[in-house]
Amino acid sequence: MADVKKHDTPMCDDLKSGPWPSFVDDIEQKGLAGKQECLDLLGQLELSYKHKETHWKHGGIVGVFGYGGGVIGRYSDVPQEYPSIAHFHTVRVNQPSSKFYTSDYLRKLCTIWDHRGSGMTNFHGSTGDMVLLGTKTDQLEPVFYDLTHQLGSDLGGSGSNLRTPSCCIGKARCEWGCIDTQAICYDLTQEYQDELHRPAFPYKFKFMVSGCPNDCVAAIARSCCSIIGTWRDDIRIDQEAVKAYVGGEIAPNGGAHSDRDWGSFDMQKEVIDLCPTKCMWMEGGELKIDNRECTRCMHCINVMPAALRPGVDTGATILVGAKAPILDGAQLSTLAIPFIKMEPPFDEFKEFVDKIWDWWMEEGKNRERFGELIQRQSLQELIRRADLKPIPQMVREPRSNPYVFWSAEEVEGGWERDVAEFRKRHAA
Amino acid sequence: MAVDMEELKEKVLAFATKKAKFKSKMYIKDLYKADPDAKPRDIKKAANALVREEKLEFFSSGSTTMYGVPGFGKTEKEQFGGEE
Repeated sequence: MADVKKHDTPMCDDLKSGPWPSFVDDIEQKGLAGKQECLDLLGQLELSYKHKETHWKHGGIVGVFGYGGGVIGRYSDVPQEYPSIAHFHTVRVNQPSSKFYTSDYLRKLCTIWDHRGSGMTNFHGSTGDMVLLGTKTDQLEPVFYDLTHQLGSDLGGSGSNLRTPSCCIGKARCEWGCIDTQAICYDLTQEYQDELHRPAFPYKFKFMVSGCPNDCVAAIARSCCSIIGTWRDDIRIDQEAVKAYVGGEIAPNGGAHSDRDWGSFDMQKEVIDLCPTKCMWMEGGELKIDNRECTRCMHCINVMPAALRPGVDTGATILVGAKAPILDGAQLSTLAIPFIKMEPPFDEFKEFVDKIWDWWMEEGKNRERFGELIQRQSLQELIRRADLKPIPQMVREPRSNPYVFWSAEEVEGGWERDVAEFRKRHAA
Repeated sequence: MAVDMEELKEKVLAFATKKAKFKSKMYIKDLYKADPDAKPRDIKKAANALVREEKLEFFSSGSTTMYGVPGFGKTEKEQFGGEE
């Protein structure tokens, strides 16, 4: 037994008695193996349960030299009782694209963190980073040195920076990938190093890349700029495979739900009737799709992957402004560019990013997300500042906003009027 | 026209030092006022260069980052009771 002190934590211990594995077990096990920080953490948590208030102080002038992000300062406000967690800073490590790493990499990372920190991690944070929980200020530079020199890894984004770009597994393992998500994620990470490591904006900014409209990284719900793979030609149909699904020779949904009595596959009920735009029908024993009406919901492709596949003229849809509900509720991102090829070096996309960043940096309020700027200054202003062409898909339904604001350039003669001339025809 | 980064850094540092007497932590948007004619991106570059020169410092809450002038406001030890 290592020389550690376990605190009396009856309320935390009670959490271990439930039917599910408890984080208390994991932390206590690590503590009893020699990490006093873990036992002090549970002790302070017990105190917070007792007092019904937090005992953490958040933020500070901590970080590594030249970086304005990647480290989140955290301090205990009861350091006398729990001295090993007087400092308990979080380190965010930029995850490899699609979170591909080897077991050797993970072992080295854990060895570094056992040596320099609490040994506790969070894989992965909501933005995708590998989160290392709990170290002291004097360990930050050594941790950074080890991460960069031993693992070739860098810190991720935090604060008013570009956050670590994140992507789905994409073409590496998914047949529906319409874009090279890893290439895009890596390129954006390298291109915007300054924005990633040093504060540049009124608040955080997130890029997320999904290979297809299934959107496995939930880019449309979480990112300020969502890059979602799509296609602009027709869904590819294998009519023989369609027949095999109908005949029960191929299990729908890749065999999911096969463990329950769902009955035989009914394509009309489970696919055609569920199409949100009703653009599918059977004709002469063949499945037909009016591709102009398809909104890329992916349901038919998900149910019958052997019969239906995305088209071959692929690219991405760019949406902007998703956010969590701090102000005015959560919102999904809004369509900005319906189709862009997204091929290296992604210049067309980066020109768009420069325009929206210029607008946000000039007009954004302190702690205002990009989506909130669009809400405050209007979609029309986004369209103007980003040089976009307005299209119906940008609004949820027609005429939801009855006001049309014309600019002087759009009106013959601008706003200048000869009032005397007007009064000749209209009494005051 | 090319930006004179040294001149802009002097303006940002002078502005931040003056303001730090009343408010020790500033948003990047506050620093825009150091030179209203300069582009926000150039102000950001100047401020971050000043941090590298240790004439300004970052303060991060985790969600938002602010700038401070070393010597103004509470030190880490005063604020958090940690080591300096």
